[in-house]
Amino acid sequence: MAVNQPGGRLALLNLLQGERPYMLYIAFAIMLIVFSLASPWFLSVDNFLNIGRQTTLVSIIAVGMTFVIISRQIDLSVASTLALSGMSASLAMAFVANNWVVGAAAGLGTGALIGLINGVLTTRLEIPSFLVTLGTLSGARGLALMVTNTKPVIITNEYYFNIFGEGSVLGIPAPILWTLGVTVAGILLLHYSVYGRRVYAAGGNPTAALYSGVDIKRVTTLAFVLTGTLAGLASLILSARSHAARPDVVQGMELDVIASVILGGCSLFGGRGFVLGTLLGSLIIGTLNNGLVLLGVSSSLQLVIKGAIIVAAVAFTRR
Amino acid sequence: MVEQGSIAPMSGTPLLRVEGVRKRFGGVNALRGVSLEIRSGEVHALLGENGAGKSTLIKILSGVHVHDGGSIDIDGRPVSFASPAQSRDAGVAVVYQDLSLVESLSVADNLLLGREPKTRLGFLRKRQLVAQAEAFLKSQNIPLDARAMVGSLPFAYRQMTEIAKALMGDVRLLILDEPTSALTDDEEKILFEAIRAVAARGVGVIYVTHRLNEVFRISNRVTVFRDGQNAGTFVTAQTNMRQLVGAIVGPDHAVLKADGAASGQSVPSSPGPLANPVLELTDVGNDRLDRVNLELRGGEIHGLAGLIGSGRTEILQTIFGLRPVQSGGASLDGVPLRGSNPAAAIRQGIALVPEDRHVQGLVLEHSIERNLVLPRLREFSRFGWLRRGASSERADTAMRRLAVKAPSAATTVKNLSGGNQQKVVFGKWNEPRPRVLLLDEPTVGVDVGAREEIYGVIRGAAAAGSGVLLVSSDLSELLQLCDRISIVVDGRIIKTVSRQAFGSAEDLHHLIQISQPSEEHAA
Repeated sequence: MAVNQPGGRLALLNLLQGERPYMLYIAFAIMLIVFSLASPWFLSVDNFLNIGRQTTLVSIIAVGMTFVIISRQIDLSVASTLALSGMSASLAMAFVANNWVVGAAAGLGTGALIGLINGVLTTRLEIPSFLVTLGTLSGARGLALMVTNTKPVIITNEYYFNIFGEGSVLGIPAPILWTLGVTVAGILLLHYSVYGRRVYAAGGNPTAALYSGVDIKRVTTLAFVLTGTLAGLASLILSARSHAARPDVVQGMELDVIASVILGGCSLFGGRGFVLGTLLGSLIIGTLNNGLVLLGVSSSLQLVIKGAIIVAAVAFTRR
Repeated sequence: MVEQGSIAPMSGTPLLRVEGVRKRFGGVNALRGVSLEIRSGEVHALLGENGAGKSTLIKILSGVHVHDGGSIDIDGRPVSFASPAQSRDAGVAVVYQDLSLVESLSVADNLLLGREPKTRLGFLRKRQLVAQAEAFLKSQNIPLDARAMVGSLPFAYRQMTEIAKALMGDVRLLILDEPTSALTDDEEKILFEAIRAVAARGVGVIYVTHRLNEVFRISNRVTVFRDGQNAGTFVTAQTNMRQLVGAIVGPDHAVLKADGAASGQSVPSSPGPLANPVLELTDVGNDRLDRVNLELRGGEIHGLAGLIGSGRTEILQTIFGLRPVQSGGASLDGVPLRGSNPAAAIRQGIALVPEDRHVQGLVLEHSIERNLVLPRLREFSRFGWLRRGASSERADTAMRRLAVKAPSAATTVKNLSGGNQQKVVFGKWNEPRPRVLLLDEPTVGVDVGAREEIYGVIRGAAAAGSGVLLVSSDLSELLQLCDRISIVVDGRIIKTVSRQAFGSAEDLHHLIQISQPSEEHAA
């Protein structure tokens, strides 16, 4: 039950000691061993940097999703939000000003706006977030495809590429730095701030939270805004990497994001979970993807294996 | 129907005989050799504080646990249940506190859930289902409409449905675990008649409760457990409240014995009439309240008496900002209540200990500390960041002051007993002192010892100057604590009496009853 009290340092301890994260740790280790035995290319710095880059998008959004799921909600729209935010960023740079700040503001702003719509519809109109975000999943993707009639938009800003995609500090690529930054910020916000406490209370028992003076609607809405904004950040990283924004990217990625959060120890019933667990969850899924590719498993079979492992892992680590 | 207090006809062997039953959990001796004898046709009350061993014995009788030593006979034959199914087959049925009914289905559907009459193709035989349920209810003398939706029934009738469900099949021994926690006096009466009807058919009934008053109204005999041992068995007609309280708390609790749990001898100091009003409601109205007028003074404990559904809880909710003030005015220390939400009310110095501590009062999965500081997170933060030291310090202080029994403030609230959980709810509002403390059924499901401690906390809050507004269905509790009592009927306060004018619980009961519309419970 130690997972109930994830304080910062405690959370780190829980990673090693807590019941479920412990299982997660073992699963991760077993997977690393199996893949390194099966493929000579797996165990290399380059490949791990590769995994890091590949999991960036999922990891970053999953931090926001952790807040949403702890507050007893779900956000299915993140992949579509990412696509629309990317279009918005690239179009802003193409038509407003070719300046990375303009692009970043447009991308993050679009993500935040969709998050706000999700949050407001969920809390004010009291529509279940499953349905609201199923709606925005479709709507945002449709808008992204509509704005350019499904064509990609080329980006030409070098600063933008550097900051979000190709730059590096001390040999660590920018996307990985962004992931680390978001994770640390997420840990501080969830485990060390008043807002984090309220997220736990709102998800653990919304009625008791209300009776204790917690503004559940605001707390929940902010969690959606946070997730949308992080989807916007992910869109900047993706488009900087490919020098273009495409409206049809990362379809179905919401499943990887949600699976990471659940694997990382969040309860779908709210009130439980922590950021480091989520990061580990997304690394497991990323490593799985990477290892299966190295082993030459066909992409169709990869999907089947991934699905089976996710369900099995959740069934196994569930309380 | 068996008259209250009469002893059921004696038969040769008792229906149930428990002899020297022992049970250990790890290092804890839950039962150190208890004995109990239930005759067919009697209602036998089982009393004891939390942890006295009542639930352990019930779990053994219902096949959840197996006893380590001693013997259990039913009809003279030794039994030992390895599973609930075996206990069930031997004719033992248990009705637990938490109802296990499907609210969106009818009474008949619930009674026959899982064994519905169906056609060969698997379609439901609806008419037969209702007929079967009606025949059964009639045979048991249970006044329930088989077609009624369970969710629309008053609580007593749901409870009755639960009992009826337990009686399906050949039941010899019926165990009721605190069935009246949330019942008003009227509802209780209805339920008690149903229980007597069941006993009159020769079923033995074990009635577990915390409420001593009920023992005198329903039981023929009463057994008290203390610390996993027998503390006495009495014929109800030949014992009294004081003797039972003495048996429950034991010789160490000299204070309690002198006071008597419900005798109301200790008159709290009453600064009421002299102090200024802190809270004033003038013609307050909304969809549940009708021109409520109320004046609460600092240091006063003011009771709200009335039936469930009369609007008592709604008055508290309106003050706390959970319901809007649509007409009239409400003010605290002369400042109008802004409250359209609890956050605003809390900032103005209003605190609420709600009716249902599991749903409204606590985040059960979280630690004591997290629950304690939740309403006042701002005080434990700087620029939005938590000051963990301050928060855990406050939690430790609150736990000490309220004598919360738990290993540490990191203990998950779910693992505490009812009394300790309620103390944590009180602790949320203990410091700084609220101007107005609203209490909704603060001692439901709390054992006798913890109840006295909670009374101490309530008196302490009033002595420190808070105005306390107390809703309770336990009239002796109101009489014991309050300086004034207001009677609530149909969303209105119809009368306020002060301590000098209090009569007995019966008088108060009468006062509540005379103003009731009588067709209320025609289910």
